[in-house]
This record gives sequence, C-alpha cells and structure tokens, in this order.
Amino acid sequence: MQNLLMLLPEISLISYFPVAFIVNRYRDNKTAKTFFTLSRFFLLISILFTVIFYNKSVIPNFMLNSQYSSMFKFLTYISAFVWFYLSSKWFLNKNRTSYLFYMVGMGMVLFLGVMISAQNLVVLMSCIPLICILTYTLIKQHWDEDKIKYIARNYLFLSLIFITLLYSGCFIIKYYIGSFNYHLIKEYINSTTSVPVLFYTSLLMILSCILFMMSVAPFHIWFVDVVSVSILPVCGFLTLILPLAYLSCFISLIINVFGNLQNQITPILQSVAFLSLFIGALSANGENNIRRLFAYCSVYNIGFILLGILSFGYGAVLSSFIYTIIYIMAMMGIYTVFLGLKSRGDYRSDLYCISGMSEVKPYISAAFLVFMVSLIGVPPLLGFWGRLSLINTLVVENRWIEALVVMVAIIIIANAFLHIIRKIYFEPLAISFDRTDKAIYICLFINLLLVIITILNPSYLLNDIEAIFGTVIK
Amino acid sequence: MNSPFALLSLIVILPFLGMLFVFTAKDDDLSKGRNSFNVCVFTILANITLIWRVFMVINERSHKLQLKEHFDWLTIPDINIVFGVDTFSLLLILTIHLGVLIGLMGVWRNTFKQKSLMVFTLLFLSMSTGFFVSADIFSFYIFFEAMLLPVFLIIGMFGEVKKQDLIYRYFLYNFIGALLLFSAIMLIYHKYGNTLLADVGRLTLKGNLRNYIWVAIFLSFISRIPIWPFHYWISSINVSIRNPLAFIITALMPLTAIYGFIRFLPTSFSSDIDIYLIWMNIIGVITMLFIALIGFINRDAQYKIFSYLTVYYITYLLGVFSNQSIIRYNIGYSLFGFIVIISALEVLSSYIYHKEIEHGSSSQGFLCRARRLSLSYSFMVIAAIGLPFSAVFVNNYLILSNLLGTNIYIGMLLIFSVFISGIGLLQELFRLKQDDPVCRLSKTDDISLPMFILMIFVIFMLIMSFIRPLWFVINE
Repeated sequence: MQNLLMLLPEISLISYFPVAFIVNRYRDNKTAKTFFTLSRFFLLISILFTVIFYNKSVIPNFMLNSQYSSMFKFLTYISAFVWFYLSSKWFLNKNRTSYLFYMVGMGMVLFLGVMISAQNLVVLMSCIPLICILTYTLIKQHWDEDKIKYIARNYLFLSLIFITLLYSGCFIIKYYIGSFNYHLIKEYINSTTSVPVLFYTSLLMILSCILFMMSVAPFHIWFVDVVSVSILPVCGFLTLILPLAYLSCFISLIINVFGNLQNQITPILQSVAFLSLFIGALSANGENNIRRLFAYCSVYNIGFILLGILSFGYGAVLSSFIYTIIYIMAMMGIYTVFLGLKSRGDYRSDLYCISGMSEVKPYISAAFLVFMVSLIGVPPLLGFWGRLSLINTLVVENRWIEALVVMVAIIIIANAFLHIIRKIYFEPLAISFDRTDKAIYICLFINLLLVIITILNPSYLLNDIEAIFGTVIK
Repeated sequence: MNSPFALLSLIVILPFLGMLFVFTAKDDDLSKGRNSFNVCVFTILANITLIWRVFMVINERSHKLQLKEHFDWLTIPDINIVFGVDTFSLLLILTIHLGVLIGLMGVWRNTFKQKSLMVFTLLFLSMSTGFFVSADIFSFYIFFEAMLLPVFLIIGMFGEVKKQDLIYRYFLYNFIGALLLFSAIMLIYHKYGNTLLADVGRLTLKGNLRNYIWVAIFLSFISRIPIWPFHYWISSINVSIRNPLAFIITALMPLTAIYGFIRFLPTSFSSDIDIYLIWMNIIGVITMLFIALIGFINRDAQYKIFSYLTVYYITYLLGVFSNQSIIRYNIGYSLFGFIVIISALEVLSSYIYHKEIEHGSSSQGFLCRARRLSLSYSFMVIAAIGLPFSAVFVNNYLILSNLLGTNIYIGMLLIFSVFISGIGLLQELFRLKQDDPVCRLSKTDDISLPMFILMIFVIFMLIMSFIRPLWFVINE
C-alpha cells in the first residue's frame, strides 16, 4: 500500500486516460476547455504528489526519485500545464477537437516523468520508443496540411534508426556488464583502466539517440521541419517540454554514469555543441518563417547549453541549468506571442505578416521584443544572467576558444533577431490582426513579471537549486 | 557617505517607472500623443529635481564616488551591484536629462508614434542614468549595453534614416563593442572579482592578459566615437537622422565612451604605451581635420552640427588621454555646456529644416523674419564656437592649451580643426541671416513661445555656468 502511495504522481497521470475516454464517449457538450480542465486536474494532483514524494521511490533500481529528478519533473509538469492552457485557446479558436492532443500530451508527460527518474537503461529503452510513437501521433495531428504526413513519416523513420542505435548500445553494455543498471555501469567504468572500443561505441550510440531527441545539430532537421508545419500546440509542446526532460536524462547519464569517460566524450559533445551553435545561428539568419527561425534558435540554445555542460563540473551543470530555465521562460513567452499572431482566423508564421505589428499590437510586440532580446542575453534582461553564468564557467575553466566561439555565435543570432525587430517596429503595417484573447495578455504579463522578479532577485530561484545540484554532482 | 533614501536608485528607477506609465497611457487620435508627452516631460522634470537634490547632498570637492548603494545580486557568479556618484558623473546625468528635455521640445508637435518615442526615450534615460551612477565594473557594463536597444529603436523608428542597413550596422558594431567590454570585464572579474570603478585604473595587470583587456576596453569605447576607422558608419547615421530627439540621443552615445575612458584609464600610464598615445593623437587629429573640412564644404546644416560634435568629442578624448585630473574635471564642466548647446542647436536647426519642407522653400534669410528664432540660434552658434560668455569657453581653453603644451603640431592642427568646424556653423548662421526675397518663410513661422522660453532658460543656464560652473548648487 505504501509503495502504491509513492506511485501516486504516475497513477494520477494514468487516471486521466480512462476519465478522458469516458468524457469523450459520453459527454455531448465537450470543448477544448473540457479536456484542458481534466488534464489540469490530474496534472496538478501529479505535481502535488511529486512534491510530497520527492525523495521516495518504489523501485529505486529502475526509477529513483531524488531532489534532482523531482525538480526536473516539477518543471516539466509546470511547463506542460502552462502550455496545455495556452493550447486550449488555440483549439477553441480553431474549433477543433483537442481530445487526441491532450491524450497524447498527457501520455508523453507520463513517460517523460518516468524517463527523468530512470536509473536503469531498461527504463530508457521502454520510454524513448513510446515517446517517439506519441510524438509521431502528435505531429500527424493536422487538418489542413498534406505535407505533414511526409514529415511525420520522416520523423518515424529517423526515430527508428536512433532507437535501434539505443537498443544496440544498451545490449552491448549488457554484454560487458551483465546489467542495465546505472550504478553497475558506473562501477564498471570506474574499475576498468582501459574501456573497450565497443563499449565506448555503445555509449556513443546511446548518447546520439538522446541528442537526436533533443534535436541537436546535425540531428535537428526533423525538428525544424516539424515546427514549421505542425499545428501551434504541437510545436510548443516539442519546443518547450521535450528538451527539458531529455536534458535532465542527458545530464544524469553523462555525470552519474559515464562521468569517468569525460576525456573521450568531451570532443564529440564539443563538436556537436559548436555545430548546433553555428547551424542554429546561421540558419536562423536565412529564414522567412518565424517558427522555423525560432526552431533554429532552439538548436542554437541547446548548443549553448551543451557547451556549458562539457566540463561535467558542478558550476558548469548549474550554469547550464540556469540557462535552460531562462531559455524555457523566453521560449514560452515567444510561443505565447505566436498565439497572438492571428489574422482572419489563421495563426500566421511568415516574417512578412509581422511587419508594423507594433502599431496595432503594442503590448504583444513589446513582449516579443523583450523575449528576443533576453534570448541574446542583452542586459538587464534575464537572458543576460544565463549568458553571464555560462561564459563565467568557460572563463573560470580557461576555455577561451569556446568563449570566443560563443561570442561570435551571439552576434550571428543577434543579427537574425534584428531582422524581426526591424519588421515589427520599422516597417509599415502589412496585415490586420484579429482581437487577441485576454488570456494571452495575462500569460505574457505573468511571464514578464517572473522575468523581472528573477532578474532583480535571482537568489529566490537559486538558493534551493544550488543545494539540489550539490546532492547530485559531487 | 551613504545615500539617503536610496537617491541614486531612485533617479535610475524614476524614468523606468515613467516609461511604464507612458506605455500604459491611453493615447488615441484625440489626444495625439499629448498624454505620453506630458508624462515624459513630467518624469524628466521630477528626475532633474531629484538630481538637483543629490548635488546638494554630495561633497562637490571630493573626487571619490559618494552616496554608495550596495545590492546583493547574483551568487553564481558572485556579483554585487554598487552605485555611487561624484560631481563629474552627476553633472553628466544632469546634462543628458537637460539634453533630452530640450530634444523633447523639438518633437512637441510630432504625432507619429509619439507614445513609442516617449517610451524608448525614458528607457534610454533610465539606462544611461544607471550607467553614470555605476560604481562597479558589472553594473557599468550592464547599463553600457542596455542603452543600446532603445537607441537602436529610436533611430530605426524615428530617425527617418533612409538606408536601414546603416541602422543594422550601427547596432551590430556597438553590440560587438559591448561584447568586447564584456569579455574584458569577465577577465578582470576572474582575476580580481567585481572591482569598483575607482580601482580599475589601479589594477596591476601583466603580459598578454593586460594587453587583451586594454585592447578590448579601448575598442569597445572607441567604437562609439566617430574616429577613424569607426567614423563612417557613425557619421552616416548621425547626418541621416532628421528627428531632433533621435539625433540628440545618438549624439549622447560618444559621451558614454568618453566617460568610460575616464573611469577605466590607468591612473598612471607606463612608458611603453607612449608610442600608442602618439598614434592615437595623430589618428584623432586627422579624423578631426577631415570631418571639420567636410562639414565646412557640406551645405547640409545637419552635417555641420555633426562635424562640430565630432571635432569636440575627439578634443575631449585627446584631453582624457593627456591623463591629468584637472583636465578630466574640466572636460566634465565643458561637456555640460557642450551637450546643452548641441541639443538646442539641433532642435532649432531641425525646426528650420522642417519649415523648409513644409513650405517647399529655402530657409535663406529666415532669421531676418523670425526674431525669437534669430536670437536663440545666434546665441547658440556663438556659444558653440567658444566665444566668451558661454560655458564651454573657459574649460575648452584649458583643454586646448594643455594639448598645445603637450605637442605643438598636434595642438595646432587641433585648434585649426576646431576653428574650421566653428566656421562651418557661422556659415550656416550667415546663410540664415542673409535676406532672400525668394524665401517663403515668414514671421508666423517663428518658434512658439514655450520653445522660446526654454531657449531663454538655456541661454541663462549657459551664462550662469560660465560665471560659476555649479551655480545651481546650494550647499547645506
């Protein structure tokens, strides 16, 4: 009975499915709000129990709830909660059924939560394929775009390749160690003076799968394509929630499992981070579609975060985490702005449509400006803190070349954002916009308020987080 | 000395709060931007009153930063923000407020996106005030970069600059400069922690680290001054701007660089940088000469003002490099009069330009018909060229004589450039005074009474500053 109680966060998420099914089957007046209300209820209960049982685990050899994993779970659930709320506005405006979106979304939240707590490769091997299938289902959810089938199929095909790599990697490790357990793998690496090449290859296979899921360059093409074509709720979900959960899993693996192979892993991660930074920043400059532009911006930011983690130290991981939180807040704001770009019932995403937007949508334009400027780290906005903490880490660790590369990448991405700012503020109005939902303004206001409070008094956010990271990274 | 009522924070926050008020102010077709304009003027006047109060609290003779305010900010990395002022920085804060206030009179009748203009102006004012009250390297950098965005938006939206690529480059080059400063500050922080501005000049850096830090700091500041090789894009932007407030705000950017040099330059120069200083002087003087001659030849009044502006900024820069504390303080007093004169001159010049456009007529001889304008414009030109009874006269005399004493050739060329740029302004005054029957501008096109009253106040201020630089300070 006690064990069951500890599983309450997961149980409450699972409970959503039968309830939503019954409501969908038997209720006549169901809108997007109905399913959001249901998901909100179960998600909030799950958040509550995650906080209560933050350090209690039923099967610690497979899933360990620690301060670290609970914090990431909490952040993932909160992000999902906010995005579900905003998505309901999209479904209401479009008058489309949201049943499938919330079903799949809740399913993904459940598996992402399990994956964050993973202490065994079996958990990863079970969760990642399921998340991929659900992602595929989400991507396919489009009513007006034929291209989506091709993109979804493409994603599925690539996912299959990387899942095969993941499985191969895991089984090679099993061959050497006889177990999938993180702790035993770590012990093996610590006790072996020279790691076999095959073992090392298996490790790369596993990491490449996770990097693919995080849409790091050169595995980013699927992400950019999906974001440019999918419906807005799906784009937001893939941009805001997936990277957070996968990042937690990635940090846990490279710090707690493969930490002693730092010398071998670093050059590969470094190349991937550089590639992401430059592909993200350069490609963003050539884009005329705002969603694609911000998809590349995500690739750039993930590269930035990876570069920070590279030294595997406490300060480095903490800096990357700070940067991640700031990035998620800014991207949440950007996607909220996207929900305000509605013209004649359509959510526009071409650069042309935002011309002169500041004339008719001054508040949304100002919020857009603040989030963009925050993303390039201009003080006194919150993004500056992220940039400062990461570059400080690079300087402290004498990683001068990386610091220089980051500076150059910042200038390139700033140029891409200047194009958007020019369109919004300097050019005449191109199209008329529909009335914006009050909820969008409220969300933007709350986001901006959080940004202001955090930049003025960051200690409220940091005090506990420092302690949490301290328990994980020794 | 500690700050009573966190006065320094208050003078940074007040324009920011004003900006929020303006942002949420209702300005429809009926009010035509009057609400936002009034809130903006009121905010600036309130802040000037506070600055005046700060002048009375500090010890004007002390060269140390006073009224220090400490804020615990970040723990990772460990950074505390410190604010503090001395007479020099406070004078500059007052100057930018007065400059912007005068500039506002130039856009009084503007109805194009007035609210946005006021929002970005107040944001700029808040950030630049923060910049001048910064007492540690991090807060200095934060505000140094933060003021870039409002300037970029003001130029882009209101500058009436036809080539938008220029605005891009302006932002990007300044942004690169700010990133260079950021890298230098990170290195200083890594070695010495968050250093106070007063101590930066005394740091004992060695080897490549020293070279990198000073080159980065030098480039970041110099990129804001229209000196070779940065003169082209800055001059392209400045002469294209037709909005007086936008011009004044852009013209304040080199001021931040001059101030940065004053705060960051080592207290004593080592002999191995003498050769670089000579080169710096040569480049500065050649740029001055070049721009002064172009201003002299060019018929555009805007270019003449820009030419004058550049020549004086470079003079101040060379004065800063002379590394004498007396000169640095003279620069402070001189900059006060200089910015006020430039602002007034730009507002009047822009007024004449827009009247020309409105009537489709040349403005030659306009001053013969507009008495108020004639009085104000003539005084500003005379004050600008440094004749007695203006604030810049004594201080510039000291700076120039010092530079003349350091190197006779450079000093001569410098005086020649100042002379040529002054002649350029007189040329324009002469053109406006030379009556032409073709001119369609009449007495009714004269400046309004409120603007004239402001100009009279500016004239009064300049004369009083000549008599006693800090005439408005009543010691407690």
